[in-house]
Amino acid sequence: MPWQTQDFAASGPTPVRESPLALAVRRILRKPSSRVAFFVLGVIVLVGLLAPLLAPYNPAAMPDIVRLKDLPPSLAHPFGTDPYSRDVLSRVIYGARLSLMIGVLATIVSLTLGVAYGAIAGYAGGILDAVMMRVLDAFLSIPRLLLLIGVLVAWPRLSIGALVVFLGLTGWFGLSRIVRGQVLALKHAEFVTAAQALGASRRRILWRHLLPNIVSPIVVAATLGVAHVIVLEAGLSYLGIGVPKPLASWGNIIQDGSDQVATLWWMSLFPGLFMVLTVMTLNILAESLSDVYERRR
Amino acid sequence: MTAPLLSIRNLRTWFYTEAGVARAVDGVSFDIGAGETLGLVGESGSGKSVTALSILRLIQPPGRIESGSVIEFEGKDIVTLGDDEIRDIRGNRISMIFQEPMSALNPVFTVGDQVAEVARVHAGMSRRDAWDRAVEMLALTGMPDAESRAKQYPHQLSGGMRQRVLIAMALMMKPALVIADEPTTALDVTIQAQILDLLVDLQKKIGTSILMITHDLGVIAETASRVIVMYAGEVVEQAEVDELFAKPQHPYTEGLMHSMPHIGHDQERLNVIPGTVPAPTEWPAGCRFRDRCPYSWDRCESEHPPLYQIGTDHVSRCHLAVEPERRNHPHPPVVVEAGVAAA
Repeated sequence: MPWQTQDFAASGPTPVRESPLALAVRRILRKPSSRVAFFVLGVIVLVGLLAPLLAPYNPAAMPDIVRLKDLPPSLAHPFGTDPYSRDVLSRVIYGARLSLMIGVLATIVSLTLGVAYGAIAGYAGGILDAVMMRVLDAFLSIPRLLLLIGVLVAWPRLSIGALVVFLGLTGWFGLSRIVRGQVLALKHAEFVTAAQALGASRRRILWRHLLPNIVSPIVVAATLGVAHVIVLEAGLSYLGIGVPKPLASWGNIIQDGSDQVATLWWMSLFPGLFMVLTVMTLNILAESLSDVYERRR
Repeated sequence: MTAPLLSIRNLRTWFYTEAGVARAVDGVSFDIGAGETLGLVGESGSGKSVTALSILRLIQPPGRIESGSVIEFEGKDIVTLGDDEIRDIRGNRISMIFQEPMSALNPVFTVGDQVAEVARVHAGMSRRDAWDRAVEMLALTGMPDAESRAKQYPHQLSGGMRQRVLIAMALMMKPALVIADEPTTALDVTIQAQILDLLVDLQKKIGTSILMITHDLGVIAETASRVIVMYAGEVVEQAEVDELFAKPQHPYTEGLMHSMPHIGHDQERLNVIPGTVPAPTEWPAGCRFRDRCPYSWDRCESEHPPLYQIGTDHVSRCHLAVEPERRNHPHPPVVVEAGVAAA
């Protein structure tokens, strides 16, 4: 244990300072599986970030719609081409960029809503909490996918920005439950009473004393949230109501080849593979994060 | 004693639980003078801590300070203050030292940060100034190597050091009154003595009053000048320390003293007061101690004893004050079988 308490009388060198966050990251990376996951996810994120530099072709370019369409993987087109003669590798690379961005942005939206809603309900308690939780129950009773399909069918041709907002708006219910529970459990902790006794305001106690103590479960939930949004986005795009074409997202690419899955196997295999890797690594990291968190308690 | 710093009159803090109304503090009155150390003793469930929390108005629902209660501090009635005004007093004019230093500190911030926060909240100091002040204050509490200890997290410190951090937090603003709620209970005996000495020492330097809450008469003897004994939500005896130890009047105080272990006395078992504090939802009518009392008689059942004046500054809530001959006929206490200990 790196933090053995020292006796007051002991005058040895003081232990190195390490913030709980740094400690958590170090502990997570101690596990080989999460090291691999961290690395793989890092590569995918880097690919997305550097898409314009890495993509061999313009992802929207249709150089020869007759002779260059439906080509199987080759040296010139490692992931093959699609029915419009576009390079699938370039599209998957740009797809990484778009899918990850949607995942992260939508999660930021739901994180903000979920933390605020849950923290307020949990901290206020009483009638406000009861009302807020019943409202939440109502939201939770509607399946997210169904809600999204309904919205997206009602408003076709939504921009990506709007898609992100809707994905975020439908993704905070579970999170706010977690936050509320944690706030509820902590708000009678002695250090909260102590902070009150020293004159801290309610707002200060909530944001400065309570929330920093529940960062771990929030980060776990957010990590899983990103993975969930990526899958949702792909599913919606596959149904033709997600990311507007001809933009490349992983779901869109699969959709483009969906008429001929058997023959154009590369069109679903490669984007699918990237998606699975992303979701899997996110889940592995979330799990080891929650392990670290559980052990600390 | 000149005009008291804090004057509590008829404080009643009741909890509206499903099991009924728990009258945890039920008509408590006392004063604390400027610079004085007042000891507050009693066993678990006697209402000591609730009294302390009431002074800072930290009672959470379903608890409530009943109307008619007065807590006068520096000319203001704390009971009726607005939220902003009471926040201004907490940690600034009155502060509190908690029993369990580990759980009273926020685990995710460095201790220096937490000491500095007090100055940031109350003096509006900049981050830098508050930090310097915090390090200074930690050094004053005898924290070795305060500069680097300030950058550590609570789990990296020993119990004694953590308690020093809490003391630094409590004294940061040089408050007029410090409420110390069992400040040494969670510590080793050796550290206990150090912390008590430190408190007394700092009190002299800063000139603050201390309300020393404890169940340990030894702590009282070492620090306090006057003592209040609480039982079942009431003050049952109040006296100067020497007077109380020499001539305890209330049978409960007597019992507390008997149950202290004495070095040199070859005893196999410690003396205990039989039974426990009755449940605060159902204080018995008459004397609340009567079932555990070796002297109780029918008067104790029918008549709730008032605080009888014994000496100039000595009161006792026991009918023995007017029927002293009863003291010659002790009997085994009735002791309630189903006595439920309240937290």
